[in-house]
Amino acid sequence: MSDNKNTTPASNDVKLGRRQLLAGGLATGGIAAATTIAAAASDPLITEVQDWNRYLGDGVDASPYGKPSEYEKDTVRRNVAWLTADTQSSINFTPLHKLDGIITPNGVCFERHHGGVAVIDPADHRLMINGLVDNPIVFTMDDIMRFPRENRTYFLECAANSGMEWRGSQLNGCQFTHGMVHNCMYTGVPLKYILAEAGIKTAGKWLLAEGADASAMSRSIPLDKALDDCMVAFKMNGESLRPEQGYPLRLVVPGWEGNMWIKWLRRLEIGDKAWYQREETSKYTDLMENGIARSFTWAMDVKSVITNPSPQAPITHGKGRTVLTGLAWSGHGKISRVDVTIDGGRNWKTARLDGPSFSRSLHRFYYDFDWDGSELFVQSRAIDDQGNVQPTKDQLRAARGVSSIYHNNGIQTWQINPDGSAENVEIS
Amino acid sequence: MSKFLKAAFLALTVFCLSASLASAQDAKAGAKVFKKCRSCHTIGEGAKNKVGPHLNGMFGRTAGSIEGFKYSKAMRARGADGLVWNNQNFIEFITKPKKFIKKTRMGFGGLRKEKDRLNLIAFLKAQSVGGKASPAADGSAKNEETKTQTKLLAKDVPVPSHGILHLGRLAQLDEVAAWDIDIRPDGKGLPVGSGKVSDGEVVYNENCARCHGDFGEGIGRWPILAGGHDTLTDERPEKTIGSFWPYLSTVFDYVRRAMPFGSARSLNDNDIYALTAYLLFLNDIVEDEDFVLSKENFTSIHLPNEKNFIADNRKDEAHRAIKEPCMSDCVAGSPKVVSRARALDVTPDAKEGESVE
Repeated sequence: MSDNKNTTPASNDVKLGRRQLLAGGLATGGIAAATTIAAAASDPLITEVQDWNRYLGDGVDASPYGKPSEYEKDTVRRNVAWLTADTQSSINFTPLHKLDGIITPNGVCFERHHGGVAVIDPADHRLMINGLVDNPIVFTMDDIMRFPRENRTYFLECAANSGMEWRGSQLNGCQFTHGMVHNCMYTGVPLKYILAEAGIKTAGKWLLAEGADASAMSRSIPLDKALDDCMVAFKMNGESLRPEQGYPLRLVVPGWEGNMWIKWLRRLEIGDKAWYQREETSKYTDLMENGIARSFTWAMDVKSVITNPSPQAPITHGKGRTVLTGLAWSGHGKISRVDVTIDGGRNWKTARLDGPSFSRSLHRFYYDFDWDGSELFVQSRAIDDQGNVQPTKDQLRAARGVSSIYHNNGIQTWQINPDGSAENVEIS
Repeated sequence: MSKFLKAAFLALTVFCLSASLASAQDAKAGAKVFKKCRSCHTIGEGAKNKVGPHLNGMFGRTAGSIEGFKYSKAMRARGADGLVWNNQNFIEFITKPKKFIKKTRMGFGGLRKEKDRLNLIAFLKAQSVGGKASPAADGSAKNEETKTQTKLLAKDVPVPSHGILHLGRLAQLDEVAAWDIDIRPDGKGLPVGSGKVSDGEVVYNENCARCHGDFGEGIGRWPILAGGHDTLTDERPEKTIGSFWPYLSTVFDYVRRAMPFGSARSLNDNDIYALTAYLLFLNDIVEDEDFVLSKENFTSIHLPNEKNFIADNRKDEAHRAIKEPCMSDCVAGSPKVVSRARALDVTPDAKEGESVE
């Protein structure tokens, strides 16, 4: 797959050699000592023995399947109730501002259902291949587990991510503006191996993928893409798919809009034309200002967002050292660079990319700086290895108008106030 | 393990076991479970065969053996093979009836909780009158059963000849027909059938109006199905079947696979033809209430907005030409806020978020 270490040069690298650590220690030590002396009273959390330091805690198996700390109860998916008529055909959002690194934990991967979560015993699940094939075939999950497997890390982004922001700033928090994205390592079988068991006829040009849920979700996918890099996954981040992510089987369509990643995958049909299903005609088509709609806009374009600081994650410390971080991704390849501005796009600095860099996976970036306590307008701008540069929202509006709902990958602005609070704004 | 701990552990085990036995015999709780069965089955004094056979004296009786009741072939065959109901095989059956007897006529999905199954058995035994509920019935038929259910050993399962890795099995024609319900704009996949606008109105009012409104106007945030003509360039476009959808086949396909919401696959093909015809009527695409939509005339109907879809051309957008963006002094003057989320105040209150529970 890819290099595990990122070597992108960054202006904000902290350079600490042995000499700086030893000699510099004296200089900063002076400040630390002053801070300690300045504190009015000593900290009882240190000077007094705490309960957790004296009494025994839970033993093993207190929680056979572990849960997050009780102090992390805000690290949860959130729904925006007014967006949809009910919760069965609805969406919630990944708490991006609470996460770090590039992997999204399974329990907080955003959900999008069109007929609720199907609950299927793997023993009762079947995958059928039919249409323009030599032999229509039925697989059980046991059969699927006998194919050669691969492990791949990909982001999944809903085409409507940031869709509420076309007409201006609307939702206060990156969870709501950008949280229809998650990033997991999938274990599964390359789709081409599975299709080969049925034998694709030469007239076959398209694939219809269909789910077993109450919406029987269905999408047309060009066969070239299906045979190139799509996979049928049964594990995410090492464990079985979560029910809300399509347990026991889902389609993985790298770099393309999330709606195509059919969950509870039960059928693959080969055909010579697209099917023009509901989710590729009345929905997931992009209406332009002139009344014309683009269809089959599959790839997710290059995009980034600063997750901290952000409206749900204000700066809570004073002036001085500050960690600004965020996520960048592209459906066309790897992220090669992320630039950050703190003065509303007047001047940009290249951020430091850290962590594994995989094609069509989330990338983590950091910009470490000294905050002087003044008002900031922070933005990030991603560039992928295909040379695509993340556009501004105004550039997108100039090209498309404001009614397209989908594929808003414009640059996001957070206003950071002197009190550390942050707001979703647009600036001129 | 210390002696003390061992004793405590044993005591705990015994306690748990007796607790589970006690609950296993809860006929009263079983009466509640039986509510799921009583629309088809009766038990006790005067019990008669209804949709399903009466259940008096079931334990110890050969499967499919009540005279005068019309069992499925599959059930009678299992009886002929020597299946006599006992605790063990009844539990297996009631967990997932169609798994234990593949073609049983019993439409019940099964009891998923072990507690429910045990309580149901306690109830059925307590209520049973007549029959021959011999105490030996529990488990006596086991050996015979094992004999009849011969399972292939792994090494004896043949490798199929299809494909490259030879995995999976050939699909049956009726299996493909059951799942292959998609329809294309060229009419491929349309089932035989037809339906009239006025019949569609009845289907619509019964199944659709509560969400989509009497005239397809949409209630609350449920989708609007009709109207919205010439609104696609408006500030708030109304994307309906008549104003936006390119193909009628999508209407039939989607209704058949996913509607009515929460009761998918419950309408028959003629109902869906009628409903589709009615949706054309609500969108002024047909004007005659006697209009009949059928497999034969389906592809002659074109939706008004069909021509207004184009392929993805994002790569031609002007900003795509920018390859090396500006890094310093990019904009003159200081930033001025032109739009704020707080002005709208639609963000959900963070305190109302769900907890990790």
